Amino acid sequence: MPSVSATRTVVSRRLIVGLEIHVELATRSKMFTRAPNLAHPENFDAAPNSVVDPVVLALPGTLPVMNREAVEMSILVGMALHCQIARHSKWDRKNYFYPDLPKGYQISQYDQPLCGEGSHALASGKRIGIIRAHLEEDTGKLGHELPGGLPADGSLVDFNRAGTPLLEIVTAPDFESADEVVAFAEELRDLCRFLGVTEGILQRGHMRFEPNVNLALVLDDGSEVRTPVVEVKNLNSFRAVRGAIEHEAIRQEAEWMQTGRVMGPGAKSTRGWDDVALETVLQREKEDAHDYRYFPDPDLVGVEVDDAWLDRLRARMPSRPDELRARFAGWGLTEKDIRQLLDDPALSRWLREAHGASSGTDGDGYSLTKLLLNNVMKLANGRGCGPVDLGFTAAQAAGVVALRQTDAIGAQSVDALLEAMCGTPETPREVAVRLGVLQVRDDSALDAWVEAAITGNPQAAADVRGGKLAAIGRLVGAVMKESGGRANAKDAQARLLERLKATP
Amino acid sequence: MSAGGGSAATPLGSDLVDLRDKIASRAISSEAATRATLDRAEQLNPTLNAFHELHAERSLERARAIDARIARGELVGPLAGVPIAIKDNIVTSWGTTTCSSKILQGFKSPYDATIVARLESAGAILFGKTNMDEFAMGSSGETCAWGPVRNPWDTTRVPGGSSAGSAAAVAAGICHAALGSDTGGSIRQPAAFSALVGLKPTYGRVSRYGLVAFGSSLDQIGPLTRSVRDAALVHSVMAGHDHRDSTSAIEPTGDPVGACDARAADPASLKGLRVGIPSQYLTGNHPGVDALFARARAQLHGHGATLVEVELPLTEVGISTYYVIAPAEACSNLARYDGIRYGHRTAKPGDLFDLYARSRSEGFGTEVKRRIMLGTYVLSSGYYDAYYRRALQVRRLIKQEFDTAFAKCDVILGPTAPTPAFRIGSVQDPVTMYMNDVYTVNANIAGICAVSLYGGMVKDASGGGESGAGSGTASPDLPIGVQLQAPAFQEPRLLAIACAFESMIGRAPVAPISHLS
Repeated sequence: MPSVSATRTVVSRRLIVGLEIHVELATRSKMFTRAPNLAHPENFDAAPNSVVDPVVLALPGTLPVMNREAVEMSILVGMALHCQIARHSKWDRKNYFYPDLPKGYQISQYDQPLCGEGSHALASGKRIGIIRAHLEEDTGKLGHELPGGLPADGSLVDFNRAGTPLLEIVTAPDFESADEVVAFAEELRDLCRFLGVTEGILQRGHMRFEPNVNLALVLDDGSEVRTPVVEVKNLNSFRAVRGAIEHEAIRQEAEWMQTGRVMGPGAKSTRGWDDVALETVLQREKEDAHDYRYFPDPDLVGVEVDDAWLDRLRARMPSRPDELRARFAGWGLTEKDIRQLLDDPALSRWLREAHGASSGTDGDGYSLTKLLLNNVMKLANGRGCGPVDLGFTAAQAAGVVALRQTDAIGAQSVDALLEAMCGTPETPREVAVRLGVLQVRDDSALDAWVEAAITGNPQAAADVRGGKLAAIGRLVGAVMKESGGRANAKDAQARLLERLKATP
Repeated sequence: MSAGGGSAATPLGSDLVDLRDKIASRAISSEAATRATLDRAEQLNPTLNAFHELHAERSLERARAIDARIARGELVGPLAGVPIAIKDNIVTSWGTTTCSSKILQGFKSPYDATIVARLESAGAILFGKTNMDEFAMGSSGETCAWGPVRNPWDTTRVPGGSSAGSAAAVAAGICHAALGSDTGGSIRQPAAFSALVGLKPTYGRVSRYGLVAFGSSLDQIGPLTRSVRDAALVHSVMAGHDHRDSTSAIEPTGDPVGACDARAADPASLKGLRVGIPSQYLTGNHPGVDALFARARAQLHGHGATLVEVELPLTEVGISTYYVIAPAEACSNLARYDGIRYGHRTAKPGDLFDLYARSRSEGFGTEVKRRIMLGTYVLSSGYYDAYYRRALQVRRLIKQEFDTAFAKCDVILGPTAPTPAFRIGSVQDPVTMYMNDVYTVNANIAGICAVSLYGGMVKDASGGGESGAGSGTASPDLPIGVQLQAPAFQEPRLLAIACAFESMIGRAPVAPISHLS
């Protein structure tokens, strides 16, 4: 039978992409045992087969015990993606043999995932549907080289990664371009880093992407055909995600022209991405052939999520990056400042806490951001630490801004005050008093400093009397010097003008 | 022969509590008791094949340490100095743990099972690992890769299984207690075939961490002993929550030892007890089993217990249900024996698939392979709903059936097994073999607790496990067992009733082989 593709011309094409994302959660210990987790920053550089224990290695008699923190992190991601959080979910065994799979099965969630339907709005405004997000354990890794790159006799297996908590997020096939997929991938990475559930270092495999790609081709007779879906496995850079999708878009149309094969049962295939040749490579035909013999894991009990647990997690929930961006813009921050805040989740967390301790206006937000980016960061960088490690809380820093706003301290005192606050539980006002930088609003003291300034600077006083108001700066400076910084500059200027009977 | 009569002369005392007290009062040293145990095990093992390994040096060293602590007047645990044998599917950081399978030949565990740590901290001397049906799959001790285990009552017969070596060791007077595991009757049926007490605790009562998994939703560890009080003591040391086993229960254990006091042991305590008798337990048994079951009922009635008729119509369906659920779990549990990380690996694999196929074909025995295939089949897509899902539904019904029955009675009484011990090699058909567990599997399926007790002696000339086909040779008397089942987490009450029952029937005689010396 002659193929349709031989007789028809493609008049337009639409890309259809759905995405599966594996996120390695950065819990301290593994998904089902106390062995340290390779995806936690403390263990990034663990020697092969060093973060293992009898449970990881599936020694006879071992049993899994669920890591509650991994479940909580997954629920946080689910909430941020507006997913339905299941009140009851369970663990299933996915059975298959492979040397990197120590038990001969992977503990996963088959028909009752922790997170159900949800959605994510891209910065462009387009909504991407989330089908589900479930938790499972990662496998080990096969290698064919000894450490140092020497050839090995046979294959090697490293179980360090085995048992790392893995959140698998599945989107609806809502993407229509590689741009959209990459935008989603980047936003998801930002989101997960904000939630503190992963370090999100793609080169380490903290996030792995698997797009399912096919094309809807509209033909010159008005009919539409769909090319067979291809799943591209294990992409761990945004560049690879883009490259693989763009390559598939071209390849699938060319293949359809040649073979006329369309989507149907058993037509789905699996391909990998060749980072050097910049093309996808066939790995397996007929995805449906596998029978994993899923069944509920009798070693584990179900996960029951009650209201109290959800409330606790909601309270822990930081803002999503897109929400933060909107809020920061409302504070009047520049794009440059916003980008700096979004790039470092620690800064945003610090600001969120400080803003919560302030009176909560946009002006507070703006001033706090300036305090953070100018003064606090300078101090932190000087000490080689982060803002949270300076030894005072974001709430204490909010107190500094409040002192500035009421002119209780001068701008020149801020750095000294922050420095003195390090490692002290005192309030900023108490520290300011201790340092003697709290501005004095006492009229008699101000009068004395003003008299002294006029007496000490007769020429400047005469100039001001004579109408040369620019000379007032010297006199204000003299008052500040006289007061040791405790005078309020505005008050001093007003008093000087009053005393010299000049009007600005 | 009366209780303990034959063993009074041995250095081991009459039972475990007796020996424990003698060691504590320094009437006998733990070292002497341990040495006597090891000697007797060495002497009888060529006949019985009860042990895969004895750990003489380590246990004697520990025994001496216990003796020293007792001599210094230090506080010691409730099992201080007492030799106890453990089934070879419970991992120990010393010796090997093989599950009587070639695939685990020489396997050394780097860690101890939770119950091993608990027993040792209570002072028990864990002196050896007992042979069993391979991976606990069997009801006769014949699937052991190291040869069949023999019954001390008649060495041409099986001791029951799968805790075969544990039963043989205690029945032969080598030790007073041995640990078994029970997935469908593997403690209770060998206890019945060997005139012992065998306790299958409630699912979740005893930690499974370090028990090599067979059927994860069914497995429990329990003791085989000569007396109910001994069983209660060993059980009480092992019971309780373990954070390493998610399925272990938080429920308090109660006081199983205190429940077995003198008052409980008085048959007068049976007065007013409601004993459920399922009509389904009354037919299809060996005539000797039926006769002793009838005698037990009559005696209970005589002591003032009320016999209540209850219905457990799904009794026989339990076997089919079990042979879907247990193999399904087993095929997955045994996937880890792949020749990659430990255990048997074929000599010269051609490729990865060949490595898996040949390592596993060479390592597993016939019965294990049968169950792996069965389990793989019932979980396969297209068959899952017809078999596995349906079995889980029946499992719920069986639980409900017990709930309904226990609303009318305190315990359910019946035979432990339909026949006495059969001759080695006489049961070739797997389904006939599986029917041995018809009265025991449902306690595992429902997750309740049950205990097998000595029920009396019978004559069995045929020994085929079925009627007919007699061998013609003269047969010695054989013990049969009676089972009491109670609702989940009622071990103290179950054991108290078992104490009274034990006094009513009288303690079992000692197996003839234990007079060998």
